Amino acid sequence: MAATAQAEILVRPAEARRASAGLWSDAVWRLRHDPTTVAAIAVLTVLVCLALGADLLAANFFHFSFSQQDILNGYAKPDGNDPAMWLGTDQLGRSQIVRLLYGGRVSLFIGVFGAIVSLSIGLSIGVSAGYFRGRWDDVVVWLVTTLNSIPTLFLLLIVGFLFRLDPVSLAILIGTLGWTGITNFARGQTFALREREFVLAARTVGASPRRIMLRHILPNILPLMIVLAAVDVGGIILAESALSYLGFGIQPPVPSWGNMLTAASQFFTKGPWLVYPPGFMIATTVLCLYLIGDGLRDALDPRLRGAK
Amino acid sequence: MGRFVIRRLIQAVPTLLGILVITFALTRLSPADPVTLIVGDTFGITRADRDRLAEAYGLNDPIPVQFVKYLGKVAVLDFGNSFYYHRPVMGLIAERIPNSLQLSLAALFVGLLVGVPLGIFSALVRGRLPDHAIRLVSVIGHAVPTFWFGLLFVLVLGVQLRWFPIGSMNAIGKDGDLTDRLWHMVGPVLTLSLGAISFYPRVLRTEVLEVLGQDYVRTARSKGLREQIVVSVHVLRNALIPVVTSLGGILTILIGGSVIIEQIYNWPGLGRLLFEGLINKDFPLIQASVIIGSSLLVLSYILRDILYALVDPRIKTR
Repeated sequence: MAATAQAEILVRPAEARRASAGLWSDAVWRLRHDPTTVAAIAVLTVLVCLALGADLLAANFFHFSFSQQDILNGYAKPDGNDPAMWLGTDQLGRSQIVRLLYGGRVSLFIGVFGAIVSLSIGLSIGVSAGYFRGRWDDVVVWLVTTLNSIPTLFLLLIVGFLFRLDPVSLAILIGTLGWTGITNFARGQTFALREREFVLAARTVGASPRRIMLRHILPNILPLMIVLAAVDVGGIILAESALSYLGFGIQPPVPSWGNMLTAASQFFTKGPWLVYPPGFMIATTVLCLYLIGDGLRDALDPRLRGAK
Repeated sequence: MGRFVIRRLIQAVPTLLGILVITFALTRLSPADPVTLIVGDTFGITRADRDRLAEAYGLNDPIPVQFVKYLGKVAVLDFGNSFYYHRPVMGLIAERIPNSLQLSLAALFVGLLVGVPLGIFSALVRGRLPDHAIRLVSVIGHAVPTFWFGLLFVLVLGVQLRWFPIGSMNAIGKDGDLTDRLWHMVGPVLTLSLGAISFYPRVLRTEVLEVLGQDYVRTARSKGLREQIVVSVHVLRNALIPVVTSLGGILTILIGGSVIIEQIYNWPGLGRLLFEGLINKDFPLIQASVIIGSSLLVLSYILRDILYALVDPRIKTR
């Protein structure tokens, strides 16, 4: 086996040469040559466009609004003739496909906004703890350990129970509870970077800690942070859907992929076709995000290629 | 080793305190009135009754005093009476914990049994078809919401094909029948272990590949050892350490996921108790389930660290 591995290395064609043109340009070039990631980006773009265009599509193509009910036509089976009936109707006769588009809007918004919140909190806490160390670092470690010791869904459920949540506050909440992974990573990276010569040089010429953190440390960890953020968006979408499925996240009549499954699961036998699409949408979206995360990591840091 | 265990136990104290601070602070930050949370809002009580209740529960005391009193009660595991069941909350929880443990331990076992060999195999055949297949399945398993997987299992294998029971722990009249219990466990355990099954292949593949590139593996090969010996003796023993270190994330999934899995499969465990508490607005029960669930997690982290110290003795000195 060792011999075959050697042979593979010998016959592997030389990688196409290209003059290095800086981190981001190189990363884009590498991304374009990674078919899995390109496919994932394409699928995700389509999903985002469908979600953003939900209003237009509902009014002009499906001719059915997301809250429009038709009780007499509840549990209509999927029907290929009328676009609004492509995926059938739910217990109130609402068009499943139109609600799916609007649900995507809610789920994607919460994922992206929540990730922005957790990235901002995680980065500022992680970098400052790694840079200043001492007392502040002890407090941060304690906080991270504590938050990691409460099962996330338990914490989200209790907060969802105590506070009525709209999509914006839910996104902020999930982001505020989910920054520990990013903090751990940023803190570890900062620990290593602050001992490097360029930081010492900056300190020697009298740069303030703020300047060192923002101008010298942050740019060095940002690329991998973007990777973590892509994965984070997926994780938040999963958390939101679980919470909404249990009835403590997004409240009806606002559709989200999670709460569409709540209703579907209560009436299994009457409308089994309602169970498949929302879960499929969640899985596809999260899968794309994870694949993009993997692809971005390889593109931004080629040394890690193959180590996934 | 004894000193390591004691040090690890002491380290858990601030964490437990933090959990109590968070659960306490949440109730005081909430816009809901504490009296309503305690007595529920199902029966109309007068203003004067409310004031008396607030006084009796010490809600008029300064917040720090309230917190110290709360700590005192939690220390003797007194979480009050469930508003819905009219019984001490701790008793209810104690009844449910064994049921939850059955599920999570079985799921951990299945997850390790399937996930670890898949990861090792994937690394050993890297670049070939089985490797790509395993990696694809593991990424998909990561992205599929567990509750949707559970719903599909119940819908397709339970309701439509009728191969598996769709809920509860035993068929009626078959309490204590082991085969029947195991049969009921297939769905929830499979769903709960999905996280570990898709997580371990990723971790182990990376680790085995890294160990395969180490000098001591080259030495073993160059002195003419057979490939099986190299893999089983030199590679696996070193590559298995991350199985222990990444247990933390798996345990979080197992305990946190219990709410949703037990809800889908109607399994009477701690997670389902928490969910019932939320539906019935049974605040003492909710608070206690969160605290006990978190404490179980803290305890399993300690066990993980002890296991880690046994596997990798360097850790003790840190």
